[in-house]
Amino acid sequence: MRVGIVQFLGTNCDYDCKYACDCLGFESEFIWYSQADVEGFDVIILPGGFSYGDYLRSGALAKFSPVMKAVADFSKKGGKVIGICNGFQILIEVGLLKGALLKNKNLRFIHKDVYLKVEKSRCRFTKGLEGEVLRMPIAHGEGNYFCSDDYLKYLQDNEMIVLRYSNESGDVKDECNPNGSVYNIAGICNESGNVFGLMPHPERAVGDLGKDGEKIFERFL
Amino acid sequence: MKYVVIVMPKKAILDPQGKAIKQVAEDYLNKSIKDIRVGKYFEIELDREDDELVEKLAKNILSNEVIEDYLVKKV
Repeated sequence: MRVGIVQFLGTNCDYDCKYACDCLGFESEFIWYSQADVEGFDVIILPGGFSYGDYLRSGALAKFSPVMKAVADFSKKGGKVIGICNGFQILIEVGLLKGALLKNKNLRFIHKDVYLKVEKSRCRFTKGLEGEVLRMPIAHGEGNYFCSDDYLKYLQDNEMIVLRYSNESGDVKDECNPNGSVYNIAGICNESGNVFGLMPHPERAVGDLGKDGEKIFERFL
Repeated sequence: MKYVVIVMPKKAILDPQGKAIKQVAEDYLNKSIKDIRVGKYFEIELDREDDELVEKLAKNILSNEVIEDYLVKKV
């Protein structure tokens, strides 16, 4: 079990992800953004941060780095890819997931713990967790997931919505939506379920920091 | 040859920056303003004319078609 953690200029959650891998006993290695292949890894993490300073749009410049072409090829062969926060934004920009991430509705950077309802989906990172409520932190300025009404229906019909902001009991309500995301969406996956993007940080809810993030990491296997 | 590309959020997209600016401007001027929207302005210089290149640049890099529209101008 080898996990590759991609580092862009401006990535800052790389060591948190490594810590999470260590907690779970996974072998992990950093992958520099200019590297053009990701051979030999079982899972690739695109961690949070501010790749390329978030210039232009979050994730917009990172999508042109050599490693992202390799990650796209890896995912097309069925490899598991998880994009957390800025990693989610990069997956969206590169087209491995669809939609857009806008500025938070209240224009503020939000850093707090949230509750997330795990939806029934085809995501391979949440198998067996459907219906559970997880608690983990968010920390972002642009996490407001947006897509067209047609695409939202497509996500619903194809079980590609993975996590939604909820209260502690798992009720998905407007007041639990921290950033204005359409349909309270906190994470989605692709059609094959092997590419998963989410705004919350599971790597900050492992070991001494909590247990719910570990449930996501455990499914790397 | 100089080109200008203007990228604007699509009409249907909530533009919270524009809304915040509008609110402050209305309070400051004590007048109502119909709408303010915030976009991005790019100046691109080439040593030749190449509309196709600028179009590609605007479409694939400078804007995100899900949420933004762009306008290319030669200046």
